[in-house]
Amino acid sequence: MAYANPHITADAVDAQEFMELTRRYRVTGVPKTVINDSIEILGGLPEADFIAAALQPEGDAS
Amino acid sequence: MPLLSPQDRQTLTQHLAPITKSVDLLLFTQTFGGTESGLVAKQVLDEVASLHEKISVVEKNFVLDTEDKAKYGVDKAPAVVVLGDGQDTRIRMYGANTGYEFVSLVEAVLLAGTGNLELEPESVAALAAVDKPMRIQVFSTPT
Repeated sequence: MAYANPHITADAVDAQEFMELTRRYRVTGVPKTVINDSIEILGGLPEADFIAAALQPEGDAS
Repeated sequence: MPLLSPQDRQTLTQHLAPITKSVDLLLFTQTFGGTESGLVAKQVLDEVASLHEKISVVEKNFVLDTEDKAKYGVDKAPAVVVLGDGQDTRIRMYGANTGYEFVSLVEAVLLAGTGNLELEPESVAALAAVDKPMRIQVFSTPT
């Protein structure tokens, strides 16, 4: 996704190494994706579903 | 002792064979106050770089190389910034890159070295509409 658009940055974070972030984002299972500190996606999703979730208006995340 | 077995090396060499662009892996570590994972990350990257002549590892000091840290937005270490043909792919790997993270690293290297997006055309079209900064953080564990 980051490669497809210059506005997007993708960080792969080792949850065990960076415990402070793991606590801050309440990572209780992996993979967990956090977008702009507001959208959270738990688990792996099919590509189309993942992108739809990532592009939802911020604040609508469950 | 190598992390990759001879069989792993053979499989990965074939997987990375399509690479035609130079791939620079910028590794940010810190000598003092750093964790052992920085050393592991270095070994992982060195072994990956040995699989293809176009792949290089460039070591950066997380404390001293403040200009590059700011340029690439690196805020913790160990960190790997993936460049393809000298251009930032905006893909970052934080941690030692072992286990499942290793798969992500290899795929990021392949993408940077080939420019071949694996996304569906519909996904690429949807992502083209993003017009403001989007930071995606994916948390995972090595095992």
